[in-house]
Amino acid sequence: MIEAQGLTRRYGDFTAVEDVSFSVESGQIVGMLGPNGAGKTTTIRMITGFLPPTAGRVSLAGIDLEQKPVEARRQLGYLPETVALYPEMRVREYLGYRARLEGVRGKRAGEAIDRSIERCLLGEVRDQIIATLSKGYRQRVGLATAILHDPEVLILDEPTVGLDPKQIIAIRDLIRDLGRERTLLLSTHILPEVELLCQRVMIIDRGRIIAQGTPESLRQQWLGRTVVTVTLKQGAPDAVERLRAIDGVVGVTANGAQPPVHFSLECAEGRDPREAVFRLAVERGWVLLELQQSKASLEDIFVRLTTREQDEAAAGDEAAAGDGGEA
Amino acid sequence: MNGIRVTFGRELRAYFFSPLAYGVLASFLFITGITFATLIGYLNDAPSAVGAPMEYFFGGTILFWLALAFVGPILPMRLLSEERRSGSLEILMTAPVTETQVVVGKYLAALTFYLVLWAPTVLYAVIVASYSKLDWGPLASAYLGVLGIGALFLSVGLFASGISRNQIVAALVGFALVFALFILGLLEFLVNDQSLRQVLSYLNLIQHMEDFSKGIVDTRRLVYYFSGTAFFLFLTSRALAANKWR
Repeated sequence: MIEAQGLTRRYGDFTAVEDVSFSVESGQIVGMLGPNGAGKTTTIRMITGFLPPTAGRVSLAGIDLEQKPVEARRQLGYLPETVALYPEMRVREYLGYRARLEGVRGKRAGEAIDRSIERCLLGEVRDQIIATLSKGYRQRVGLATAILHDPEVLILDEPTVGLDPKQIIAIRDLIRDLGRERTLLLSTHILPEVELLCQRVMIIDRGRIIAQGTPESLRQQWLGRTVVTVTLKQGAPDAVERLRAIDGVVGVTANGAQPPVHFSLECAEGRDPREAVFRLAVERGWVLLELQQSKASLEDIFVRLTTREQDEAAAGDEAAAGDGGEA
Repeated sequence: MNGIRVTFGRELRAYFFSPLAYGVLASFLFITGITFATLIGYLNDAPSAVGAPMEYFFGGTILFWLALAFVGPILPMRLLSEERRSGSLEILMTAPVTETQVVVGKYLAALTFYLVLWAPTVLYAVIVASYSKLDWGPLASAYLGVLGIGALFLSVGLFASGISRNQIVAALVGFALVFALFILGLLEFLVNDQSLRQVLSYLNLIQHMEDFSKGIVDTRRLVYYFSGTAFFLFLTSRALAANKWR
């Protein structure tokens, strides 16, 4: 598991990350979202021990990173944002070097390398010189490096960047697989990826965690009530009234007079009236054409959260400018 | 230990795969070859022929120092600056190794390649020995001096590499530092203060090398090289750990 407590990083007067705390349990994939420059990479670098935090503590698999850096990093597999490899080496040779660096030796090393090559789809380039590889292949060599020593904690910064759609699917499968028995922290720009893979999400903006939870709870927390759209072939005079009477429905609006007629049902928190709507339609003999729960995507939440923050920031800047403060 | 061994192995291999290293090797042999040939020619000239050729070869000419002053910063210039520039430092330093292990491993690789540079010069001694009597004792102590001063210069060069992102900058910074170390000893002739003069005379590398090539081994000098090397390697590992320049 990963535990971060009160992580803060300052560069002079500039605070890149402020008081970030979270934990990732084993067997869990947690996604880290945030606009560019939000402090994701800085946070990740502090968790991996590459960047010493100004304040705060990190432990990986229960080992304190500051007190036992080598032991803690032994538990860590890391794919950085920019995958920089040694260009003059061949893929297999590079993985061999990394295995030795991680302390995996002999027969176990050979097995580990072959397994990584297979899992990251590197079979056809195993003997190629790294300098001649495409970006997608380099990305996968980086991923192979991260999983080589079978670490308990995996931190992947933008793992599917530069891959083609078919490879993306394969690598996502691999990530889902890895997340089952490991602790996995995933940073990405691709929001559907988070919904596909992650059990929990944290959204970082301007160096702070502004929201965290399951994608479901984030939806409820930030987008309010869910809306169910009902489409009937023919309108009925008592439709609005009867739909309104369904348990869990808070409000009904009818749209359009021409058939088919659409109704928007606003639902109470956590309620799903779709089954009741279906039964009502059967009972009343209405012809039900469509029944849809409109689910807000993470993208909506993300945009709402980060733009709101930016608006506040802009307002703050204006206030400062009004005071004659420095920009 | 594992970190030192693995880094050492990878860097030594990298040297033998790099065109730069062969360029350095070739120019180094060219310079020492010219020095040797000139010395032999000079000593064969009857009126001026005084002294042993290998004694002149080590420290008797400015070419020796020029070669050393260039090799010291150039051999290690890539070792850390390139990792920093390309970003591979991040993957390296998140592996279960310490900064000190990485620095020592890389340093030992540079030192080994430095010894590879000098290895062919043993042939010169063999050539001299086959034509005249050669005193092997002073030769051994001269190589001890070459090792000591080279070790110091390489650690300075590695430090320069550790604080730079660009290998050319690293080489220039390294050259400036090596030059400063070299000049420090020559200041002996410029200061009037007796005790300061005494201190500086201990650091006079030209004097050191002259003595080494005569077979005089002063352990204080070896301690100076060793502690200087340790100091610069320590600074380098601190520079890696600090991570402030990004």
